[in-house]
Amino acid sequence: MESPYLSLQNINLKIKNQQLFSDFSLTVNKGEAVLLKGKSGKGKSTLLKMIPGFMKFDSGSIILEGKELNRHNLKYFRERISYVSQDTDLRNENVEQLLQEILKYKANRHISCTPETFRDLIREFHLEEDTPVKKIRELSGGERQRLGIILTIILDRDIWIMDEITSAMDPELKKLTAEKLLSLNKTLILTSHDSQWENDPRVRVVEL
Amino acid sequence: MDTNGISYLNFLYFLIFLIPMMAVTWKMNLSVNKRLVIAVSRMILQLSLVGIFLQYIFKLDKGWLNLLYVFLMMLVASFSVMKSCNRKEAPYLPIILFSFALPNTVMMLFFNRFIADIDVILSAQHTIPIAGMLLGNSLNSIIIAVNRFYSDLKEGEKEYFMMLGMSGSRSEAIRPYFRTALLTALNPTLASIETIGLVALPGMMTGQILGGALPLTAIKYQIAIMLAIMIVRFAAAALTIFMTTRLAFDDFDIPAGP
Repeated sequence: MESPYLSLQNINLKIKNQQLFSDFSLTVNKGEAVLLKGKSGKGKSTLLKMIPGFMKFDSGSIILEGKELNRHNLKYFRERISYVSQDTDLRNENVEQLLQEILKYKANRHISCTPETFRDLIREFHLEEDTPVKKIRELSGGERQRLGIILTIILDRDIWIMDEITSAMDPELKKLTAEKLLSLNKTLILTSHDSQWENDPRVRVVEL
Repeated sequence: MDTNGISYLNFLYFLIFLIPMMAVTWKMNLSVNKRLVIAVSRMILQLSLVGIFLQYIFKLDKGWLNLLYVFLMMLVASFSVMKSCNRKEAPYLPIILFSFALPNTVMMLFFNRFIADIDVILSAQHTIPIAGMLLGNSLNSIIIAVNRFYSDLKEGEKEYFMMLGMSGSRSEAIRPYFRTALLTALNPTLASIETIGLVALPGMMTGQILGGALPLTAIKYQIAIMLAIMIVRFAAAALTIFMTTRLAFDDFDIPAGP
């Protein structure tokens, strides 16, 4: 049998005397969309943070393309994964400047993103034309989430980890966003309470 | 005016002014008198002891002894940083000590050699006061910068992870916090340089003029010391943050500790 693209094996994690994960395992195929479901406090966000190594676990392993997540492979993981946190926590700066800062990161220097590309994406996600000159705090929650998605699309990593990425959008935008993300054949690992993810046949639902 | 001529009696006269002040604060219910008496007594005691001690060091005036004295000041300052910044683990000591030692030693030697232009490079008369001024400023700057850096990072931890999530490396993701911290440490000096001489005569210059130096000589020293202060403030703060980040993050770039 071919080894899976990404697998989480026997993850154990205890936080404040509470066993959040005991021998949790999950495999994800390349290009698959996985939705993590479960009541709040079940550790969905925590699990998402574990995959790029933003959160350590007590035992178990995470393996991507045959490489185990440890300090030697950390860079390998982070250069293949993009992560958008719940609330899309971007530093309060001018949107354009923030984009330029991200594009200047060593791992992103090969990416070419013209002002036109950025503007087209802004239009596609129904953001205001003047979004690039706004500061992050001037954006609403839903606008920030769409900006997070746009940044993810620009960076074009293999695995997209997104925590509650559509929660603050109106139903029409939720639909548009889900449709767009699912059409790109990326490996998506998401959490969401929105039904259009769960009801889409292309999405595999995993209960925590 | 002869500064050597302050008699102990003149000195006591000055204390007389404390009596009406204390009477007023007592009337106003400020309840600071106890603290005031203790503070003034402490000051007199501390400075007298330092004075006596320095008399000996100045009399001996041995280069190695002056250097040792400066090293002790650095050691005390390092402990003070560890306490004020809540970085009390032993591995922080050599890092902080190094961050004090490198810029301050370079600046001190440079000052003695090229500004003061003295024959004996480590003479007590120059080395100890200059080192004291530079170290005091470095101490202040390091505490401001380090505290600002780690509190911003703690407050912005989610933002930090988001930037790692956008493929930033640790050093790339902490850069904005580093920038703010350095600016915060530099700002007081920049502000005082901007108004220097207009609002108040700086301490070193005042001291030299009282000691009999010509104002133009005093100004040359003052300009040189202000530049030296600005440079050590910047270098010491930057070095400390840069070097402590090696201890303050784990192998997954997750901020550790308090």
